[in-house]
Amino acid sequence: MSEKSKMRVLVAKVGLDGHDVGARVVARGLLDAGMEVIYTGLRRTPEQVVRAALEEDVDVIGISILSGAHLAHLSKIRRLLDEQGAAELPIIAGGVIPQEDIPLLKDAGISRVFLSGTPIAEIADYISHIRDQA
Amino acid sequence: MNERFEPASNDSAPEAQDRIAGEAARWEKERYAAAMADHPERRPFVTDVGIKVKPLYTPADLAESGFDYLSDLGFPGEYPFTRGERVGMNRTEPFVVSAYSGFGEASECNKRFHKLLGWGAEQILIALDLPTQCGYDSDHVMATAEVGQVGVALSSLADMEALFDGIAIEKVKRIGTLGNSIGPIVLAMFAALGERRGLKPADYTVNLQNDPLKEYIARGTQILPAAPAAQLAADCVAWCVDHAPGWSPLTVCVNHLNAGGAGSSRATAIALANAIHYIDLLLAKGYAIDQVAPLLHMFPDERHDFFVTIANLRALRRVWARLMKQRFGATKSEAMALRTTVYGHGQEALAEPLNNIARIAYGTLGYVLGGASYVYIAAYDEAVSTPTEDSIRVALRTEEIIAHEHGFTDTIDPLGGSYFVESLTGKVEAQILAALAEAEAAGGALRVIDGGLGRRWMAEGAVRRQRAVDSGDRPWVTVNMWPQQPNVPHTAFRIAPETTRCQIERLRQVRESRNAERVRNALIAVDDACRSGDNMVAATLEAVKAYATVGEIAERWRSHYGEFSPSTDY
Repeated sequence: MSEKSKMRVLVAKVGLDGHDVGARVVARGLLDAGMEVIYTGLRRTPEQVVRAALEEDVDVIGISILSGAHLAHLSKIRRLLDEQGAAELPIIAGGVIPQEDIPLLKDAGISRVFLSGTPIAEIADYISHIRDQA
Repeated sequence: MNERFEPASNDSAPEAQDRIAGEAARWEKERYAAAMADHPERRPFVTDVGIKVKPLYTPADLAESGFDYLSDLGFPGEYPFTRGERVGMNRTEPFVVSAYSGFGEASECNKRFHKLLGWGAEQILIALDLPTQCGYDSDHVMATAEVGQVGVALSSLADMEALFDGIAIEKVKRIGTLGNSIGPIVLAMFAALGERRGLKPADYTVNLQNDPLKEYIARGTQILPAAPAAQLAADCVAWCVDHAPGWSPLTVCVNHLNAGGAGSSRATAIALANAIHYIDLLLAKGYAIDQVAPLLHMFPDERHDFFVTIANLRALRRVWARLMKQRFGATKSEAMALRTTVYGHGQEALAEPLNNIARIAYGTLGYVLGGASYVYIAAYDEAVSTPTEDSIRVALRTEEIIAHEHGFTDTIDPLGGSYFVESLTGKVEAQILAALAEAEAAGGALRVIDGGLGRRWMAEGAVRRQRAVDSGDRPWVTVNMWPQQPNVPHTAFRIAPETTRCQIERLRQVRESRNAERVRNALIAVDDACRSGDNMVAATLEAVKAYATVGEIAERWRSHYGEFSPSTDY
């Protein structure tokens, strides 16, 4: 596989939630799976996440959120991306997200939610097939 | 095969010990090895902290480690406090049944507090929402969508007063909150709350976590850079030494570091390095170790291996006692007798959440058998959301059952003398000391943060744990054994929709009705304290009493000390 076709992933923490162990384990796992991964660090605003995603020209944004503010923050990120011409850039999410919110997130334009405990291989596999779904 | 033994006249004589060691070796090499040939071991038996667990422990294990009852264990309430820091432990001074709770805005949260007290909670620790923890008022842009979610919104003294409406704080054993990055503010709020009710500090007991150093590695609610944050935390301890010596203004935490992956021994070591840093700051301000150490607690954590939990608490008390005495020259018993706060957990899973009640019960039992002083306990649905009334009541009842049924608390340190537990205690202690030496060689608490050692230990451990679960080496029922999809219909706890509106309205009223000049002058005094290095609590107390808000005070700190910068490595 050439350098150009390596998947580029932005792993992001949005809002005030300070738990990033899971995000960093996933980031490391995706790196080990051969992807290029950028981690935003804590406490990014939706605007900062969008800016980072566009500047880094990533193929997918993975957002980790455990604070309960997922619906508001994720739908805002989707809206900002769409407004800036990046409607094709998929968002996946993980963290502490109640089951019944998953359909709501899907409606808001989140491509997939990975609940805690999902093997990294499953996430890596999903990401690597993202281009097939475009 | 020997079937008859000649009775020894003194079991602990060296010849008797050699015989036991010889027989133990024979049993393992002949009988156990033969048994393994027919029935191989189910999996590697290694604890999360990396200690291999043998099939059997005997007096030979104690002899080999040079175990000496009087110097290694002693007696409860006496140096080195291995068996317990209180003389009577659970027989005369039972562990305090504690609840960590908070959501929404103060008046609805107040109703939950009344219920908790009714269900038997003796200590209430307020869970604060993220905006409050991070020093933002409920109407700040960074508070968007976060008000009242993971805890109650607390923007001013008015919220604190509403939180404890109708609750006689002098009759509750302890009240408190975490306030890791806003220590002086929450300490001031508790002081002002009591003052408003005509109480003196000696009339009630306040408990703060107030441990900013671990935030940078493991929890993420930091506001300022680490060095000034640690100073503000130390100021809270200093203020209590001077004004409220019965309060507990700082609990140094292991749990977040362990939960983040470090493993309990390494996490304990980092916590000890943090404790040493706070102590050094206080000694530099002219306080004595005998004044300071009694006000410091620790929050140990081990939730993978039951017996390691017990060993860790015993080892930690012994390590603390020796550290206070040998490094800092403590002379008073209270300075060396460490009180421990714990939060009962197991390996909670998302599928079949009711199973977590059993897991949490066993984890909590480990802490109680290890001699914890203050015991919190997770609700079975805590992995998914803020606990509901039902789930938190079950949690409290679980704790009460441990306290009063089954005879668990009938004697002190019941597993003391167990060949396994004493062997583990010694090994865990050795791990803690080795890791502490590494942390100190790296430069101590602040360097463990910015040099990345803490995050490296957490990342290594988190990856190792993930692999152990993926491979099945760490069994996890409903995850890698009898795996289930977490698709049980689950009703997540939701805060009421009008909460944010209600909170912001109260905040608006507070700003409107307070004396603006008094607030302005108080904030100037906060600025002065930032510049002069004088104890921040005094200036903060005046600001809080004038109804300055959390955000307004924290903003002064930010403007002087700067904000922390988030790390992007992984």
